[in-house]
Amino acid sequence: MRRLPVYLLLDTSGSMAGEPIQAVNVGLQSLLSSLRSDPHALDTVYISIITFDKEVKVFLPLTELSEVQLEEVTCPKSGPTHMGEALEVVSEKVKNEVKLSSAEHKGDWMPLLFIMTDGKPSDLMKYKVMANKIKNENFGSIIACGAGPKAKEEYLKMITDNITMLDHMDSASFEAYFKWVSDIVNQGSKSAGVAEDLDLPPAPKEINIVI
Amino acid sequence: MSTLSVISQKGKKIEWIDKAIGSGTMKDVYFSPDKSYVVGFYRNKLDASSKDRLNSIVGVYKTKIIDGPNGDYWRNLLCWPYDIVEHNGLTGIVVPTYQRHFFFMHGSVNDDMLGIKGQEKNGKWFASAKNQNRFLHEKEKGDLLSYLRISILLSRALKRIHAAGLAHSDLSYNNVLIDPEGKNASIIDIDGLVVPGKFAPDVMGTPDFVAPEVIMTKHLPVNDSNRKLPTILTDRYALSVLIYMYLLFRHPLKGRKIHDTDPVKDEELSMGAKALFIEHPTDRSNKPNLNDVHPSELPYIDVDKMPYTILGPYLKELFDRAFIEGLHNPQKRPTSNEWEEALVKTVDLLQPCQNSKCSHKWFVFDNKLSPRCPYCGTPYTDALPVLNFYSSRGKGKFLSDNARLMVYNNQYLYRWHTNRLVHPNERLSDEDKKPAGYFVKHRGNWILVNQNLPELYDVTNKVDIPIGKHVVLDDNIQVLLEKGNGGRLAHVQMVNKR
Repeated sequence: MRRLPVYLLLDTSGSMAGEPIQAVNVGLQSLLSSLRSDPHALDTVYISIITFDKEVKVFLPLTELSEVQLEEVTCPKSGPTHMGEALEVVSEKVKNEVKLSSAEHKGDWMPLLFIMTDGKPSDLMKYKVMANKIKNENFGSIIACGAGPKAKEEYLKMITDNITMLDHMDSASFEAYFKWVSDIVNQGSKSAGVAEDLDLPPAPKEINIVI
Repeated sequence: MSTLSVISQKGKKIEWIDKAIGSGTMKDVYFSPDKSYVVGFYRNKLDASSKDRLNSIVGVYKTKIIDGPNGDYWRNLLCWPYDIVEHNGLTGIVVPTYQRHFFFMHGSVNDDMLGIKGQEKNGKWFASAKNQNRFLHEKEKGDLLSYLRISILLSRALKRIHAAGLAHSDLSYNNVLIDPEGKNASIIDIDGLVVPGKFAPDVMGTPDFVAPEVIMTKHLPVNDSNRKLPTILTDRYALSVLIYMYLLFRHPLKGRKIHDTDPVKDEELSMGAKALFIEHPTDRSNKPNLNDVHPSELPYIDVDKMPYTILGPYLKELFDRAFIEGLHNPQKRPTSNEWEEALVKTVDLLQPCQNSKCSHKWFVFDNKLSPRCPYCGTPYTDALPVLNFYSSRGKGKFLSDNARLMVYNNQYLYRWHTNRLVHPNERLSDEDKKPAGYFVKHRGNWILVNQNLPELYDVTNKVDIPIGKHVVLDDNIQVLLEKGNGGRLAHVQMVNKR
């Protein structure tokens, strides 16, 4: 059985402190419980969570869905957003953790990358370089989410066309967003249409999708 | 939460609570206030032909199947939409709520650590070795008999759909609900039915269940004459995969063979153009590689330990036709009717495992000299009578029916054993549901007690066996079970003799 690696990159910079980071925690919990109650996801999904603020941390190494023990994600009161470095770390992790197919062994599915931020990269130079690199790596999909009024879509556009902008940073928005993430993760097990459309599942109503 | 209501196409008041309880690929689903039905609204506006299709499904086809002969039986096996509503320009279908036994009562292990209690029993839970081994609560798993019966019900339900000239088009574990504990099954999401030549399919199917020819031609435009779309023949493929997965907890085509280093292309080839049965008898190149599997897939993924032949000769033959001869030759695939018959005959080959802790509780007796349960390895030590059935074709001539019954203690004999023309299906009369006799081991002898066979006759010893009396089943004796048309003669064979 092929594994489906799912990488979540979460912005934990100072501006996320307070309600937003609480909402992210609630959202993560509901993402996990929704995936865990899905028999397809249990069969294949592995999750890794990487957080980024002034430093980049592997918050959860790539772990089989049923084995994930989630601790609370916290963030410093203030500080920069090292999003470029985060991309560098995930790129490195993917290289080491995702099994490629060889002539003898079946590899993993191409990993999914979700990235969420409420601002813009502080390490812009690195970000631009890494954005280019990430784009050309073998991700199944890269899905970016800009949360709140300060999130800058233009930077997210450098890595993907799949961008979701959340107008608010309350728990309802995040929960709806993580529900959508779970739908995307599970998409591979659903009926496929006759017309070859690789559409994402419809986003929850609260969210405004920019293609 | 507000309740909305409209008058349906059939003039009924249909209500629903305005909070979706689930979302499918195309629909959002809402409960009625009393939860006796659900309303599924299509997210996109339907075109005229889709509406036409729905009209036929809730109209003529429902009348024919659900309101027709044995309708009560079909209502349990087919969750059939019965009305149509329009609201805010969107179309919705009204479907009965799933029966209670299709929701998890116990859920997962460790006090339901996955939190699935109350959730629908999606078929995937039971078709995956990992879910079976690690997550499902013992009381949800059922045994081999559960999965045989579920396979029978699904084959029969699909047979009914096909008999009406329809194709399901998206049969998969997402579109069936099964209840191993209570041995129930039901086909859901019937609104996608395809009428060949009239209503074209709008889905290709679900990964794992899409027939090779459909995958191989999916790059062609829909109106290209070479494009293959779901039909009754692809339903037959999907049914075969479902049965294989429920009985063996693995996919028939997912083995070690690699066709491309890109996993998406590899999957497409291994399910399409290059599809190869993992248990192909001569080409072993796709046999699962045990070094590559997750430990929780064992032992089921080990085709040497659990070959499909443990399911007996009738199912082996059909799996061969489905995944060897018919894999790339759709006409050769077994029909749902053939599956139903082979599964019913296989039930007669079952023996209860002597090990009360056995995961499967039953196994198909393979007629070997030293039989043992393939699931737990427990040997079967007792001598065991087998009844080989022959039936009358007039003038005292009896021909083999290629059917046999493996006897076990306290097993019943039924009319469908004693007469070739009686089948245990939806048409079985109440009279024929009663046992005709039973088998019991009594003072060292295996005996058949006559309960309801006025013509039972011991041919070898030339004596009548009246109702209430019994006949001792010695090796090689012949017993006439019924005299009339289709009446059967049983030839007793004692296996595992010491």
